[in-house]
Amino acid sequence: MAISDKDFELLRDFIYNICGMYFHTTKKYFLESRLTRRMEATGSATFQDYYQLIKSPRGSVELKFLMDEITTNETYFFRNVPQLAALENKLLPEIVETKNKMGFRKLRIWSAASSSGEEAYTMAMILLEKRATLLKDWIIEIVGTDINETVIAQAKEGVYNAYSVRNIPDVYKRKYIREDNGKFILSPEVKKFVTFNKLNLYEDSKMIFMKSFDFIFCANVLIYFDTASKSKVVQHFYNNLQPYGYFFVGQSESLHGVNDKFKTVHFPGGFGYKK
Amino acid sequence: MDKTKLIERAEILVGAVDDLPTIPAVATKVLQMVDDPDASVEEIADMMLTDQVMTARIMKLINSPVYKPAQEITSLRRALVYLGLRHVREIALTTSVISAFDGTTGVLDLKAFWEHSFGVGMVSKIIAKKVGYIDLEKAYIAGIIHDLGEVFLSNFLREPFLEVLDYIKAHPVTLSEAEELLLGTTHSEIGLCMARKWNFPEAYSDIIAHHHNPEAATVDPILCAIVNLSDLFCTVRELNYGGLGWVTFNLNEQVAWSILKEKSPDMARMDVERFCYELDDAIPDVKALVSSIFSTT
Repeated sequence: MAISDKDFELLRDFIYNICGMYFHTTKKYFLESRLTRRMEATGSATFQDYYQLIKSPRGSVELKFLMDEITTNETYFFRNVPQLAALENKLLPEIVETKNKMGFRKLRIWSAASSSGEEAYTMAMILLEKRATLLKDWIIEIVGTDINETVIAQAKEGVYNAYSVRNIPDVYKRKYIREDNGKFILSPEVKKFVTFNKLNLYEDSKMIFMKSFDFIFCANVLIYFDTASKSKVVQHFYNNLQPYGYFFVGQSESLHGVNDKFKTVHFPGGFGYKK
Repeated sequence: MDKTKLIERAEILVGAVDDLPTIPAVATKVLQMVDDPDASVEEIADMMLTDQVMTARIMKLINSPVYKPAQEITSLRRALVYLGLRHVREIALTTSVISAFDGTTGVLDLKAFWEHSFGVGMVSKIIAKKVGYIDLEKAYIAGIIHDLGEVFLSNFLREPFLEVLDYIKAHPVTLSEAEELLLGTTHSEIGLCMARKWNFPEAYSDIIAHHHNPEAATVDPILCAIVNLSDLFCTVRELNYGGLGWVTFNLNEQVAWSILKEKSPDMARMDVERFCYELDDAIPDVKALVSSIFSTT
């Protein structure tokens, strides 16, 4: 169903204000097709009917379904290229320099909604490439956490489909991925840098033990939280970072109004949050 | 290096070029007429119509998404009335600058350069509005012409400027740093010398000279801060040119940001994230505008 520009903006503003995710105009067509499914599922005859539904008190459940549709909930290796490029070219060298001065040669990275492990392993590959140079003699610890034990088991196994690995640059693919009968198997060399654990981001008593990270990633999860929970979780991330660390959310996500302590740091094609 | 030395070097470089493009005579005449209280819109329109290229560009600009008239404006006279005479001066200036370097064979990708320039113009206008800066069109024009010095380098110092462009691809330095290192001056000082040669209003020369260090601006530091920030945002949001090296910035460490927050405390609460995403959405408009201005049809 085609929606007018005005309705698109209405829905975009609503999703942005509630979830903290911005819908780019270029994604209007995509949003329309996903919206059509949800309108059919809820028996909404017009856009206005549906809009009134998600705005109503009982709309929060429906909003979660809509967000599931529009985030597609899938992950793959080397997903956020501008973010990775900034990390590799600028932010990582900056942190290594800071830590070298303190004589502290250990790097800790947390993928806070690790799903089947693609994000954590992507980081492992990038850092592994620097083992001979920037990170010579450094200890690297990458932690992936998720609330879902099924995806944690998948992450630990490290076997992927063609879709997951399609964005891996050849130089990494040749070294770290082995193809076997349409399955793509991650090299043990990469796996040994990453550990996966179950963690509920709402659980304060566990969150306080996730300490001293240099980089924390949390993509496409906070959009499901209400503002109060978002603030609480983000404050944990803030506390869990080293004083010079960085926090990253997903593409099109925004922490505006959630935490006023983080500073936005802009880089080509994106931005991150600095403690 | 101290600023005086950079300017001296720029003066030598700009002075050494005999065939520096000139602002069309019509533009100079129009600029005078706009300041003359006795000149009517009809007279100014008649003068402009003698320069077909300028007329065509004004018509394209006025009908672009940046000005957004409710209906397409098809006569120059109506365009002038719509803009208001104050803005005619600025639009004549902009179209002249574009004309002066149109079709020349510089080493810069001109399309990418003007996309950046018009992007900075558009974003300057948006930031100006947020800050409560009154003259939005002035912000727009200042944004468009802030990097004037680059076109000079691209056209008249081709080989050394190519070295600069190669250097920033291989080293983690800014364009200005590489220019200073390899040319002994930067596009800010070169632009200043050109603006003086062309008798630009002081407010614009000041911005051209200080868009990378707004704290040094003397005429209009607020506008200079606006253009500086706008330049930074465009550089990290797909409106950059020449393969700029690794530009990253922390908003809270930017002098321009402090200047604007002092002028308008509301800026501290600005939704910077949404601003960036909206900027992404506006990029196709900017690219379409630049294509339309440069298309010959």
